[in-house]
Amino acid sequence: MNPQLLNSLLADGPAPGMTKEVDLFGRLNGRWRTLITYFPLDGPERREEGEWTFGYALEGRAVIDVWQVPPRAQLGGANGTSSHECGLCVRVYDPRLKLWRFTFHGPVLGVTIDMLAFAVGSDIVQERFYGGRCERWIFSDISHERFFWRSVLSTDGGVSWRLTQTIEARREM
Amino acid sequence: MASFAAISGSLEDETPSLSGAISLILAPSNLGLRPNENGSQPGAWRAPQVLMNAGLAAAVSATDVLSLKRPAYELEAQFGTTIRNGLSIRAFSFELGEKVHEVLRSGRFPLVVGGDCSILLGCLYGARLAGGRGLVHIDGHSDFFHPGNYDTANRLSSAAGMDLALASGRGELLLTHWLEIGRPLVQDADVVQVGERDAEGPDFNESYGDIVRTGIMQITIQGVLAEGVDNTARRVLTRLESRELDNVWLHVDCDVLDQTVMPAVDSPGRPGFNFQQLGILINELCHSGRIVGADFTIYDPERDPHGKYSKLLVDCIARGISNRRLEWGPAQ
Repeated sequence: MNPQLLNSLLADGPAPGMTKEVDLFGRLNGRWRTLITYFPLDGPERREEGEWTFGYALEGRAVIDVWQVPPRAQLGGANGTSSHECGLCVRVYDPRLKLWRFTFHGPVLGVTIDMLAFAVGSDIVQERFYGGRCERWIFSDISHERFFWRSVLSTDGGVSWRLTQTIEARREM
Repeated sequence: MASFAAISGSLEDETPSLSGAISLILAPSNLGLRPNENGSQPGAWRAPQVLMNAGLAAAVSATDVLSLKRPAYELEAQFGTTIRNGLSIRAFSFELGEKVHEVLRSGRFPLVVGGDCSILLGCLYGARLAGGRGLVHIDGHSDFFHPGNYDTANRLSSAAGMDLALASGRGELLLTHWLEIGRPLVQDADVVQVGERDAEGPDFNESYGDIVRTGIMQITIQGVLAEGVDNTARRVLTRLESRELDNVWLHVDCDVLDQTVMPAVDSPGRPGFNFQQLGILINELCHSGRIVGADFTIYDPERDPHGKYSKLLVDCIARGISNRRLEWGPAQ
């Protein structure tokens, strides 16, 4: 563990003058227990528990999170359990474009995902287009204690959407 | 008819003498176009300066000129979008929207000179911020490409062929969802599209023929030429009246002109208007008092090396907006 890196990376709150914008995601600051439901096309739905930790970063201009399945408390130990999934999300607010640039790095599954994020009503919508598909990750029903997240996919340009994953998140700290 | 100022409610401190005066906004953007055949940037960004050199400011008796800086054109994909220059178009739209909003709030008439059709988004954004509603879209093409009718998988898309789809809320959130406005910039039923020339062709249904299944009212160029410009203007105005649209934005893509009189555009074609017909149509719309601002796009001076068409276009614009009624003014 490198405390200097953590000190340089993390921040206590949003950058001065950017509170309203940065707190779109900044209000998620903290650790959350997650119940994840997957809806695969070719099989039955399945559920897993995980952990999701958010924090301010880069002098309060960014919000990063670490995504983990299963929760850290279940990792390691005598049985040597390792993550099924883990990932780092970096979100940086762009004041000129009035949106967030988002990148997810998932080393276990070997994926990198770029998205753009917007405040849409009371929701946060992250969106990407790839291979003729449109994918959205949507945060909704956000309160201090809980939030709901879902991933939807469209293959017809947004006319219809298929639910692929949901997360029910409860705050732990 | 309601005054624009009364709706925007923001003119108390403005100078009455500016009411209805024309503010020229120069928007030298080519961000929405694909590169030329030789891989170079399209030249539509040069149009504002060329038209100014051809006497535009004097011809329309502009009281002031606001110039936006030319945005940088990128040939490669930008972060997080399949729309060519998508991030840059959003940034430019915010800049342009602020100018349009500022001009409308002061009770003046914003006359925006592009540039390519992607500038429509910034114009509508500014108009919406000021309380405007509705769009008359005069264009030889519907510009209605969106991910539901277009292959986004294998190539970058060009906003200049998507502007009406984006304005009506179809496509990436990047260019359809706007701060303080949300989505869309204009409702389908508040749009009248005039001038599509390919609707009767065999390929229309394969491209963006789905526009006919929306609430957008469309009058093809063939329809206009058959019924006459005066009748078309009346039909458009009847629609605006029925929708209670008193503060409408007017978009004019110069490719609605027949290629025999205006070949210096990105996608010339025929049939189309001659300069006189286009001038009359704009004039009658503006004379109704329902049009609060306008943009003119897609003239490409690089396709007009001898400047043959710039003066003709200036005359057409001036004739079109010279007879506008000044329905809006400082709030009483």
